[in-house]
Amino acid sequence: MNGHPTREEDFDLYALGTLEGDEKQAIESHLATCAACTRKLDEARGRMALLALSAPRTEPSPAVKERLLHRVREPAPAGVREPVRVERERAGGMMARWWAAVLVPAFAILLIASAYLWNINARLDREIVALRASIQDQQKQLDYARSVAHLLEAKDTLTVSLAPMPGMPQGAVKVMYNEKMGMLMYDGWIEPPPQDKSYQLWVLPMEGQPISVGVVNPATSDTAHWLTKVPEGVTAKTIAITLEPAGGMPQPTGPMVLVSPGA
Amino acid sequence: MSSGTKAELSASDAVLIKRIVARDEAALALLYDRYAGMLSSLLYRILRDTQATEEILQDIFYQLWRNAGQFDASRGSLPCWLAVIGRNRAISRLRRHNPAAGEELVENMIVLPFNLESTLAQQQLLGRVKRALESLPQEQRAAVELAYFEGMTHSEIARCTGDPLGTVKTRLRSALETLRRNLQPETA
Repeated sequence: MNGHPTREEDFDLYALGTLEGDEKQAIESHLATCAACTRKLDEARGRMALLALSAPRTEPSPAVKERLLHRVREPAPAGVREPVRVERERAGGMMARWWAAVLVPAFAILLIASAYLWNINARLDREIVALRASIQDQQKQLDYARSVAHLLEAKDTLTVSLAPMPGMPQGAVKVMYNEKMGMLMYDGWIEPPPQDKSYQLWVLPMEGQPISVGVVNPATSDTAHWLTKVPEGVTAKTIAITLEPAGGMPQPTGPMVLVSPGA
Repeated sequence: MSSGTKAELSASDAVLIKRIVARDEAALALLYDRYAGMLSSLLYRILRDTQATEEILQDIFYQLWRNAGQFDASRGSLPCWLAVIGRNRAISRLRRHNPAAGEELVENMIVLPFNLESTLAQQQLLGRVKRALESLPQEQRAAVELAYFEGMTHSEIARCTGDPLGTVKTRLRSALETLRRNLQPETA
């Protein structure tokens, strides 16, 4: 549009905001350079503004005026030009205060909850360690029971009762021995040894040196039983318990206390 | 509504604007009493939301308080400026659109050949506007209302009413021509 708008309604339509695209652009280009038409647009805006009067009458709440007057009495924040922005900043401040009111107690609750959970966690850790130890014990017991069961079930396991030698401490000991499995089980009782002495259990093979199965140090005469590994494939000629210096000896040096039959 | 004296109540907009520039809160209260009802009615008609209406109403008068020095009441009509600013903001809110600075700050050179500074004047002009609108055929009036209160463009009105675009344009032009003729100031 190089010339003036040909019809007065063009200004009304522009003031009303209904023009689009090329129509809008054309009148805007012209208005930018034409003072007379700008004046006509000002009149059109006034005319269109009259339509506001046709809105059904509603009165604002008296609180709006009170808030407005309260707001103008407050010092305006420095550097803030837009009232809307003032309102937003104020809303932001209120939000910040609201968040502070919520977050401070929430943080305290979080700290308490964290301490409580930390304590629970530490207790659970201790319980887990204890349970692990207990499981290991139970596993050992289970393994022991399993090994005993295997030993007792095996057809080639020898069960030998050791007989006390005359004049020696008394006792009744049974030994289960399986040379293929290399397992020996001690079950029985024996009088506590003299001071500075130990009983020592031996497997005397058909050939070679006696093999020490272990030291037996009963504090009482109660029945005891234990299982131990011995070298595999050793055929026992005799199984015997000797009285040795405390702690035992590499080879038997003392008298026999209990011995398998036929020795 | 206002607790001002008779002299204060009859003070012109230009005088009250000068007093606001001098930080006179009472002058702002008088202008508020004078135009808040009209502006609030317009905002509510557009938004149908009391809270949003009151928020924008307060913001506009607060803007007047802060920027009164930039308003030259001898060059433009304050109630028209309030109506234009109010309509722009309400329609922007309605369309969830943030107006750019150029859209928002309408210059105050809005010419109105009527005086709206008294309630009586407002009521008399309201009667004329209503009669002018009622004189329009129903479809023309509806098009004007969609444009003014809903902020619709030609093509949006066409989509809304289902009428051809050309029909809408013709309808609006006819309506605006009639309104202009009926709302011309009466000459003595």
